[in-house]
Amino acid sequence: MVTPDLTGEEDIAKLIIPNDLPKEQPALTAYIVAKVYDKEGHIIRYHRQPMRSPTQWLLALTAIPLIGTYSSSSSSTANSFLVNVLGMPSQQYTYPAESPNSANLSWDFSIQLGSSTQAFSPTLNSLAAPIANGSGAGQLSYGSVTATYSGTTIYTYVTVVNYSSTTINVTEIGLVVTFYIQFMNSSNAYQANTYTYLLTYDTFSPAITLPPGAIATFEVAISFSG
Amino acid sequence: MPEDAYDIGNHVPTFNAYLTAIVRDSEGKIIKVHRQRSHSPTANFIGLFLPMAYFSTNNVSFTLTNTGGSTCTYQPGLESSSKDIAYPNTGANHNTYIVMIQVGSGQQSNPYTATALAAPIANGSGAGQLVYQPVTLPSNITINGNTAYFYITQTYNNISGSTITITEVGIILELQVTNYWNTSSTNCGNMLVWYDVLSSPISVPNAGSVTIYYTFAVNP
Repeated sequence: MVTPDLTGEEDIAKLIIPNDLPKEQPALTAYIVAKVYDKEGHIIRYHRQPMRSPTQWLLALTAIPLIGTYSSSSSSTANSFLVNVLGMPSQQYTYPAESPNSANLSWDFSIQLGSSTQAFSPTLNSLAAPIANGSGAGQLSYGSVTATYSGTTIYTYVTVVNYSSTTINVTEIGLVVTFYIQFMNSSNAYQANTYTYLLTYDTFSPAITLPPGAIATFEVAISFSG
Repeated sequence: MPEDAYDIGNHVPTFNAYLTAIVRDSEGKIIKVHRQRSHSPTANFIGLFLPMAYFSTNNVSFTLTNTGGSTCTYQPGLESSSKDIAYPNTGANHNTYIVMIQVGSGQQSNPYTATALAAPIANGSGAGQLVYQPVTLPSNITINGNTAYFYITQTYNNISGSTITITEVGIILELQVTNYWNTSSTNCGNMLVWYDVLSSPISVPNAGSVTIYYTFAVNP
């Protein structure tokens, strides 16, 4: 195919996000599973749906294993993507500056549940009405997040319990990433600065209902085409 | 993905990667535009994508393999003995950065297990070689409506004296892991993190060039 020369970013954008390619498996797909058990342990709801709404923060996470953290082979500053998109420092201070101490980057996932809905935007960074961790009215007790991996799929789970005396309706769910930059601070003590972003946002319709005493497990599975 | 979780409506897939190659002749005119979906994160990529919970829950590490076939242990965490991705700092630096979009003239059937291109095209002006220009990193994410994307691009000049054919493309990351004490630092070397076989070969004429774009998009 021969085309006129490219004159600017708009021309390039038309070529690099083509809309006329045949439908094939995307590079990443994901689904959500919710299982609800009553207080006797009987399963009372099983729900599975595709994940539809990745945010720009999922893109940002994807970029790190592709482009790394440094701007080049000889620089001691971060690439501008991490600084501009994720708000990370261009250079992390570590005590003392001339010592062999270093700094590093890692991340973890969590699952946040909510009780409202909102319009999607790729810049979305929180649920409309997050359900707090606790045993009070309108709260759920969140267990530890676990993650497993098999082949090209990463599974993230959380179990919640409704210790309150009223039914709680879960209508939104988000997969959340927290980045940790670890270093030695000016007091020569360990410190980790955190940066938290919403990777995906999805809604349940109808709601996932947890009566008093119910236990529910929510799973987000991310599959790469591999 | 389980069958009952497939979206059976008209919804467009929500995360896609694309590979675009623009070939120019000796006068700089575009003579071919190649576009295809990109499918293939490698096992190295998926290992690096995993959250800390995977490592702490299962008390495991992930073995990465570099382009030379050597292995490296990756075990991110918040412990002093963890092996995390190095971050730029005022002390000891262990540069982790994209080396290049590498092009090659071979192919392999299982991109997931690929740790190197089958037949990398060397950087140079000799027979069968291409001159690699520096890779251009994204500095931000572009947003247009619900679509968000970034791209990585690199240009290659052919001054070898004859046409060169590209059949495979991959992203190479130089990875170094460390803890904050800097006592577990390891240079893992060049890692193939993304790999694609071209749906049709690309011929770069002598004195011509090719520019490759890897685009990653959500809600395209």
